[in-house]
Amino acid sequence: MIKRLLIVIGIVGVLLGYAALNPFAPGTPPTNIRWIKIDNQGNQLKAWDGPWACVYDKSTKLLWEVKTDMETIHDGYWSYSWFNGDLGAANKGDCYFEEERCDTNDLIRRTNQQLLCGLDQWRLPSEKELMSLVYHKGKPGDPTIAKDYFPQTKRGDYWTSASQQPLKGAFKHLGTGATAINFIRGTKANIPYRNAAFVRLVHSGFELPVTR
Amino acid sequence: MARPQQSLSWIFLHTSAIFIIILNLLTGFRFAILTKPDLLWFNAILPQGNLHQWHFIGGCALTIIVIAYLTLQMSEQAKSKQQQTAAKPAKPPSAPRFSFTFHKALTWYVYVITISAIVTGWLIFYDQQHLIPVDDLHFIVAIGFISYLLLHGGSYFIEYGMAAIKRIALPGPLTSLQLLFIAGILVLTFIGWRAWLYQPMIPLQVKQIPINHFIQIDGHANEAAWQDAPSVTVLTHGGANFDKGKTPVMIRAMQNGVEAYFHITWQDATRSIKHLPLVKTQQGWKIRQNGFHQFDEQTFYEDKFAVMLSQQCGSAADGSIHLGTKPISSKPSNWHGKGYHYTEDNSIKDLWHWKAVRTNDMLLADDNFFGPPATTATGQRRYTAGYVADGKESGAYVMNWLWYKQDIITPKRIPKDPKYIAEYQIENAIPKTLPWVISWFDYEPYQLEKDHYPLGTIMPSVMYRSNRFEGDRADVRARGEWKNGVWSLELSRRLDTKSKNDVAIEDGTCLWVSAFDQSQIAHTRHHQAIKLTISESP
Repeated sequence: MIKRLLIVIGIVGVLLGYAALNPFAPGTPPTNIRWIKIDNQGNQLKAWDGPWACVYDKSTKLLWEVKTDMETIHDGYWSYSWFNGDLGAANKGDCYFEEERCDTNDLIRRTNQQLLCGLDQWRLPSEKELMSLVYHKGKPGDPTIAKDYFPQTKRGDYWTSASQQPLKGAFKHLGTGATAINFIRGTKANIPYRNAAFVRLVHSGFELPVTR
Repeated sequence: MARPQQSLSWIFLHTSAIFIIILNLLTGFRFAILTKPDLLWFNAILPQGNLHQWHFIGGCALTIIVIAYLTLQMSEQAKSKQQQTAAKPAKPPSAPRFSFTFHKALTWYVYVITISAIVTGWLIFYDQQHLIPVDDLHFIVAIGFISYLLLHGGSYFIEYGMAAIKRIALPGPLTSLQLLFIAGILVLTFIGWRAWLYQPMIPLQVKQIPINHFIQIDGHANEAAWQDAPSVTVLTHGGANFDKGKTPVMIRAMQNGVEAYFHITWQDATRSIKHLPLVKTQQGWKIRQNGFHQFDEQTFYEDKFAVMLSQQCGSAADGSIHLGTKPISSKPSNWHGKGYHYTEDNSIKDLWHWKAVRTNDMLLADDNFFGPPATTATGQRRYTAGYVADGKESGAYVMNWLWYKQDIITPKRIPKDPKYIAEYQIENAIPKTLPWVISWFDYEPYQLEKDHYPLGTIMPSVMYRSNRFEGDRADVRARGEWKNGVWSLELSRRLDTKSKNDVAIEDGTCLWVSAFDQSQIAHTRHHQAIKLTISESP
């Protein structure tokens, strides 16, 4: 009878022991993911940490500027005309950080001065580079990008570095413009330099630091 | 155990009862976690997912087994009388007197708890919880079943060993009558299971009004048209902070061929609008919270109300409830251990989520939906499965922290002038009409050198960057007013928005309602769907 009593106690004990050894413990951030958050000093953050200033893409080895709503030069609401100092249309975008209006050259200059994420030599992305950010699995109404890593992205056009592109339709009379990627549908379009579009800068010389 | 073998009918009933009781204990304890979070300790041994239908099938089967058992007992007693044998079961010759008395007492014990389980279970199913705390009784009965399983099954096994198991597993001679009996039980259980799909609903006649009748969405519902609009009242239960977790919800509805109007009232003793306020401490700014880190805040949160609409009227919010810490194996676990809302058939359940602070001053309810589980966003702590907001073109409320942290946060913005938060500093004397929403443009980006606010300063955390959503998410106009312990909420939406994330309101559309008393997710609920009846003529 004692043996059978021990069996009953054992069955109950195994059940309770299993429950005790497997407690509910939420809160483990995912690892081995494509995107890595980088703070303004260039340090790597965990997936759920923040705020972050840049995102490193392990698949392309590019570092991307992250937009904010803090009214800094990286505010996602600011727009820019396409201008490289020689070619394009200067100061046709809208921002608060320049005495005049804004163009892509202004953002690049200010970002390099600021050493965003510890780096200078920020630039406009190529069409292929910017297209690599297009993501179609977001929530309804979201821009076509991984919004959990790229907040404050607007549903609109983002400039690439590709200039002297032939314009079509209503813009044909303007001759050439630059290529933009549209983050509503994730498609490309050539638009006039004078257009006020958004910008996300990229850097190709970043080396991933060790986890903090 | 030198007793005659049990009949196949008895063995079938006994074995079925064992499995059903275990099934319903496991599923039932998972339900109980919603209001008794300490039970999460048992998480690893409890099932997850869409469990309501299994619990219901178990309840149906247990009811049928009890009826069948009584029938079997009466039949055997009648047979015994015919054979002029003793009416009472004979005392087992080898059993000591204490054992016999013990098991006899246990038999009466299980009669009481089984009947109690069945009665309270059906009362819960039919949302009849007005007079007694049915939820609590049902839970107590479940504890009773655990003790019974241990005392009854455990003691028989300890006393008789394998002989006891053989006795309940190996039947005596088989008869066609017994097979018929078992077949009858299976058929009845199957019918009960199908009844899950055809459960009773609460009809609500939607009053038709002329298109030129103006209905102001102001929370007052004082237009003449409302006065004779039919209403239904549903007792919702299981919510945090409400008196005994319950609140009765009254609903009435009208439509003019283009738009539908709903007037909903529910009892809530407190008007809760202090939504996650920020407080300045020695270490820095902190979010006042008591559960927000687990996305289950029940203290510093606004009142809310939710309406779910579906073209189907199935039980348990039309199958959109999936309980457990990780009901989808390929998706992240939740933080509170309660579960997720999502659909398994890719259907859409429309969800109107009115929030007393975040959307009330927008004159909107947040137009959301339950759909298939969303793709995991690895950069965010919270995964919400099928609970997703409709898309919007612009407009938002913004929480006033740069990035959420459990301990210290950096505010996104601070007031341009201290006068903007002066009224929030008078603890216990804050004007009741003071909104806990702040304007983006009265504040400026946070800079440490501008933060001269004294320790203890309170600052609201909800900022309106614009005064309303625009786009699909703004389809539901809403306004709630609280007075004398009652929230009065008016809602309005086009009958058919043509949005793929909305459910058209038409004859036969079903809805469910939930009230939130200063809680993030711990809402009240009810089982029976409210079915809208829309007739062509007034």
